[in-house]
Amino acid sequence: MNPLAVLLTLSALLFALGLLGVLTRRNAILILVGIELMLNAANLNFIAFWRYGPPEAALTGPTMVLFSIAIAAAEAAVGLAIILMVFRHTKSTDLNKLDSLRG
Amino acid sequence: MIPLLILCPLILLAALGAVWKARPVHAALLLALALSLIAVLYLALGGGFIGLVQFMVYVGGIAILIVFSLLITRPGDEGEEVARRPKSVALGAACVVPVLGALLYTFGKGLPEPAEGAAPSVPLEKLGDQLFTTGLPAVLAVAVLLTAVLIGAAMFARDFGKNSEPPADS
Repeated sequence: MNPLAVLLTLSALLFALGLLGVLTRRNAILILVGIELMLNAANLNFIAFWRYGPPEAALTGPTMVLFSIAIAAAEAAVGLAIILMVFRHTKSTDLNKLDSLRG
Repeated sequence: MIPLLILCPLILLAALGAVWKARPVHAALLLALALSLIAVLYLALGGGFIGLVQFMVYVGGIAILIVFSLLITRPGDEGEEVARRPKSVALGAACVVPVLGALLYTFGKGLPEPAEGAAPSVPLEKLGDQLFTTGLPAVLAVAVLLTAVLIGAAMFARDFGKNSEPPADS
C-alpha cells in the first residue's frame, strides 16, 4: 500500500470531520475545535508530501507547517478572546443566540 | 508503514469523538488526544522537530486554552446536541462523500511512487538558515502578527468596567 495514499486519506477524513464539527456544532468554542482539526489536516498534507514527495522539495513542507502552527496559535488566541468577550456580554456561547446584528 | 497503520485509525477515532461528543469538555480532551497522536505521527514520519513543535503549541497551548475556556463559560444544552444527531449524520455523509470522491479520483489518476529509503531528516541548522534567509519576510510578518495578537488578546481580556456588564433584558 502506498503510504502517501494512506496519509492523504487520513488528511481528507480529518478535514471532513473538522468541517462536520464546524457545520453542526452550536457552541462557538467547539466550532474552534473543528477549525483546529481542519488546520491539522492541511499540515498533515505538507508533511506527507515532504516525506514521500520529490527530494528536491527539501525543507519546504516543515517550514510551511511551522508558519501554519504559529498562525493557528494566533487564530486560537484571538478566537477564544472574542468568544470570552461575547460570553461576558451575552452569558452564552451558543451561536444561535447571537443574533443582535440581524436585520 | 506499521506505525502509520496503527496511528491513522486512532487519530480518526479521537477526531470523531472530538466532533461527536455532546459534553464539551470531553470533546476538548479528545481533541487534545487527536493532536498528540498527530504529533506522534510526525515523529514516526521523521519530522522530529515539527512533532515537538506540534506537541508544545497544539497540545500544550491551544488544547489547554480551549479546555480552560470551556471551564469558564457555561455549556449549552447537551440534550439539544443529542437531538440534532440524525441531522448531523446526514450532514457528515454530505461532507465525507465529496471528499472521498475527489480522493478516489486523484488515486485513480495515479500517485507518484514514494521515495524509498530512510526518512529525510530536518536539520535544524538548515531549517534556521532557510527561515532567516529566504523566509525572513514571512518570519517578520508572523512576528508582527503574533505581537498584534498578544496586544489584542490582552485588550480583550482586560476588565472594561461598565462595558463588561451584560445588557439589560428588554
